[in-house]
Amino acid sequence: MQVEVRVFCGLECYIPGATFGQPIPVEITNGFTGRKLLETLNIPEEKAFSFLVNGRHKDLAVVLSDGDRVSIFPAVGGG
Amino acid sequence: MILKINPEGAELLPAGGVAGKGGYETVTMLKKQYGENVGVIFIGPAGEMLMTGAGIGNNDPEGNAGRYAGRGGLGAVMGSKGLKAIVLDSPKTFDVPVKDKSRFQEAARKFAKILLDHPVTGQGLPAYGTNVLMNIINEAGTLPIRNFKYGRWDKAGEVGGEVAAELCNARGGKATHACHPGCVMRCSNIYILPDGRSMGSLEYETAWGFGPNLEVSDPDQVAEMNYICNDLGLDTIEAGVTLGVLAEAGVIPFGDGKAAIAALEEVGKGSPLGRVIGAGATTAGKVYGVTRVPAVKGQGIPAYDPRSCRGNGVTYATSPMGADHTAGYAVTANILKVGGYVDPTKDEGQLDLSRNLQIATAAVDSTGLCLFVAFAVLDNPEGLPTIVEMLNAMYGIELTINDVVALGQSILKVEREFNEKAGFTKEHDRLPEFFYNEELEPHKTKFTFKEELDEVFNF
Repeated sequence: MQVEVRVFCGLECYIPGATFGQPIPVEITNGFTGRKLLETLNIPEEKAFSFLVNGRHKDLAVVLSDGDRVSIFPAVGGG
Repeated sequence: MILKINPEGAELLPAGGVAGKGGYETVTMLKKQYGENVGVIFIGPAGEMLMTGAGIGNNDPEGNAGRYAGRGGLGAVMGSKGLKAIVLDSPKTFDVPVKDKSRFQEAARKFAKILLDHPVTGQGLPAYGTNVLMNIINEAGTLPIRNFKYGRWDKAGEVGGEVAAELCNARGGKATHACHPGCVMRCSNIYILPDGRSMGSLEYETAWGFGPNLEVSDPDQVAEMNYICNDLGLDTIEAGVTLGVLAEAGVIPFGDGKAAIAALEEVGKGSPLGRVIGAGATTAGKVYGVTRVPAVKGQGIPAYDPRSCRGNGVTYATSPMGADHTAGYAVTANILKVGGYVDPTKDEGQLDLSRNLQIATAAVDSTGLCLFVAFAVLDNPEGLPTIVEMLNAMYGIELTINDVVALGQSILKVEREFNEKAGFTKEHDRLPEFFYNEELEPHKTKFTFKEELDEVFNF
């Protein structure tokens, strides 16, 4: 099972060789949570302000499924 | 005419050589004539031709003609008075009368710290500017693509804030820039075009309007369209929405930046097509027989699709100003998780969210503070009391927070009253039909609010 992860706005600095917005495939197992994904990617929890799964905000306890699109952002705003 | 204002008074002078000139040249010529430190408020040819999509421009600290009071057609109002520019020559810029200076300074220092301590106003905005939004709105599936046909596009990031910041730095521009002296947020930038022209700031709404909205993914083409609008004195949001309508009509192809640039250049020539573009999306839709026109009360809808960012949909529909994202910026709670969280794809809570934000925004706008302070103010209980403290110190009054809410409500009531007298009814407080009929991918959402919208102004 695999999820597709995109990181933005500086979070790419935690993942060697990563570029913002480029999909990163990550292997997951049964019961794999958002928190576990951050651990796997070495992204500090407090930096992952917005954690979206398939375009919807989720908290880090969310259990990920095969093929999920995960997007991770620090706190951002504009207008 | 030129209105020149200095400490000795004000005088009207002939426009002379700047009549008919573009924004960049107007600022350069007037600064040369009246002094490098003067401020210039101007209109471009679009305003002089009385186009309803014309805005009013201000120079940035470097003299770029890129800081706009863009929306609502105010450039045409200035043009109708024959006023090309206002030149402000004030050697005592900061000597504004303050009743209790030490009390004010203390409150202002506290407020600056509130802004710097918040991650949005202290970190995200300075690093990437407003265009930091492109990717999160796209990932959330509510970025209007191809004239509001889809909610997400795999190339949106190519014109987003991260890419733009890299280009600004690589070309000798600035990724972090204050649009006026003294700002602690510094969300502006200076984008340099490939041929070396300094465009000024590329903002999120503009990058969206000329980018994903037209399926254009080349940031330099987007910035070129921004440059043309700054020079013409044209609202970039309205121009982007209008080009989307023209693409819908088949006048230009989607995905063709060069064709979009060529169409925009017609505005300066005053050709029939140029005048249609300068008149905005609603007029363009009528001229070309397009019904998919994203506009409310004659103003184009900005960069958040109302179907999957419903709080902003409520604001677009009901704001007395027409489709205006800033009038009650529900993107905060819908997408950015600032000031709480309200699920953007559901109806629950959206009416209250939009109402409260519209009231607060009307009040904050009246203080002269930048609206972006709201990101910090919404999350910090000390925020609003500190603004009230600054007001009280400045004017020697004793306002309370409740007075501020009442102020916001009274402003909206006056605006509504004006609209009623101008012939607007509740039928104008609705979104265009296609938002109710067409499903938006990826969340398969439609806008549903109709009569419920009449409850927004229930105070």
